[in-house]
Amino acid sequence: MLELNNQYTTIKRQVHTAVLKQFFQDTLVENVDKIPIQLIPKQRTSNRCCIYKERAMVRYRIMALLGFDIETEDDEMKSLSSYVQEIMEEDKPLSPLLTTISTACSSCPPDRYMISEACRGCFARPCLANCPKDCITFSGGKAHIDESRCIRCGKCMEVCPFHAVVHIPVPCEQACPVDAVKKNADGYVEIDWDKCISCGKCAMSCPFGAIVERSSIMTVAKKIKNKDHMTAIIAPAIEGQFPGTLTQIKGALLAAGFSSVIEVSEGAHETCLHEADELAARKREGTGFMTTSCCPAYMNLVDKHLPFLGGRRSSALSPMAYTAMLAKKRNKETSVIFIGPCLAKKDEASALGTIDGVLTFSELASLFVAKGIDVREMDTTDSEDVSYFEDCREFALSGGVAACVSKRAAVGDEISLFQVNGIDRKMVRVMKTWEKRPVDADLVEIMCCEGGCINGPGVVAKPSVALRLRGGNKASRPVEAMRAILKQKE
Amino acid sequence: MEKKEKVSVKICVGTACFVQGGADLLLYQDFLDPVVLAGCDIQGVSCIGGCKDDAMQVRPPYVEIAGQVFGEMTQEKLCKLLQEAIHA
Repeated sequence: MLELNNQYTTIKRQVHTAVLKQFFQDTLVENVDKIPIQLIPKQRTSNRCCIYKERAMVRYRIMALLGFDIETEDDEMKSLSSYVQEIMEEDKPLSPLLTTISTACSSCPPDRYMISEACRGCFARPCLANCPKDCITFSGGKAHIDESRCIRCGKCMEVCPFHAVVHIPVPCEQACPVDAVKKNADGYVEIDWDKCISCGKCAMSCPFGAIVERSSIMTVAKKIKNKDHMTAIIAPAIEGQFPGTLTQIKGALLAAGFSSVIEVSEGAHETCLHEADELAARKREGTGFMTTSCCPAYMNLVDKHLPFLGGRRSSALSPMAYTAMLAKKRNKETSVIFIGPCLAKKDEASALGTIDGVLTFSELASLFVAKGIDVREMDTTDSEDVSYFEDCREFALSGGVAACVSKRAAVGDEISLFQVNGIDRKMVRVMKTWEKRPVDADLVEIMCCEGGCINGPGVVAKPSVALRLRGGNKASRPVEAMRAILKQKE
Repeated sequence: MEKKEKVSVKICVGTACFVQGGADLLLYQDFLDPVVLAGCDIQGVSCIGGCKDDAMQVRPPYVEIAGQVFGEMTQEKLCKLLQEAIHA
């Protein structure tokens, strides 16, 4: 997976912020076609072949931000402003989730192992001795790999004392746990929607930014402008994604134009109660392991690739679904907007029907910046009673769901746990064996992203930073408190 | 020997800086050299105004080192600048 802090993230954030700024100033239609040129000025040293290609890419990113499917709706003759006008009239559906920019795709050569300059043509030649397919030959004092016989096992790379063997992957294909990302006849990336589980790993790993998510932020932005009643339901992973405390993040959401905020942890409490009951019943009947059901990418994985696990999943709804019900109960007319780190939640949301929009943290960040909202300047007093669901904020971390369910299980019930911390190709293969050989545990917690939702494709801060800011640590302490401490020091 | 005064370092944790890469700077305990850490007084501060200043040529994230504001800060750049600052 690509390091989160990179040039692509930076430019994406700039594009999103610029579009939203213009939107809230009511000048988007007039100015949207200028944005690519403003962001990529003539003087810029280009990160692609030339600034003109970079500008074209900015155009595509704006299209994806507006919610268009670039694969099917790209009309090069059409100006961005007419796309904007179109979106003002009608919202775009949530799926398909991702869209590819074929001109951005570098059509990376097939996955391969290569002997680099560093090869010393040594005497021991462990590469030669350990290659299971005898495809290493020596000539000119250096090793060579016979591509036609190589099975890409990586043994030679492991054993070379000079680190002379390099693995050159195709990042998107390697990241996809279900082989849904392939190249088409022209060599450009293509996603097989029948296989895709919407985990977003491909979009996170492409170093050319050729796979982008179709955003639904304009749906939300329009509602903000119309002053519609909106309830932001915020995923437990949000703490640590912005500077400041959770209370301040809630304050910032209200300042951004949401009418009320509910923590999804509140719905997670409901999920836990259901799962604990169900688990107890299954234990009594002795039907074997049950898996959690809150990760939507896992739900897609089961539906599309591992149907035999269908009956193993808990029948509890996801925390998002329960929280949406809660929001509608508090106000029938409200639009419910889920804000989380997850792309697959968009699939779940469009199937549910009670969610009116899904935003990622990254999109929310652009909204905050565009509206000039500083999270850390928000009020810090919180009157809400969170005690009964507070522990469910741990749903965002691997291990957290299982812990919360166990805690709510009946006293005296020993629950054995098994964790799936991140789904990759290998894990999918392991899970396939569960059909014949069930897991020896009562509860299997499954999270598609390694480390949990705090490592989702829509995050702003990487897990190491987020963990530091969670749970009211010093770094997240409100400004006033910091000032007070500084004063004391003086 | 006279005790050298610590270099004052203010990392902007305004939202604009934080979401454009500033978050990573908060890991300074991990990526800065212990000697540099000892020579600096580092704190996170609310928006230092770089993003609102039209005259500013560089983008967020901003860091103020001994009174001077630097933009487009990265971990590497911060290491280098602080290394220079403590020897100045």
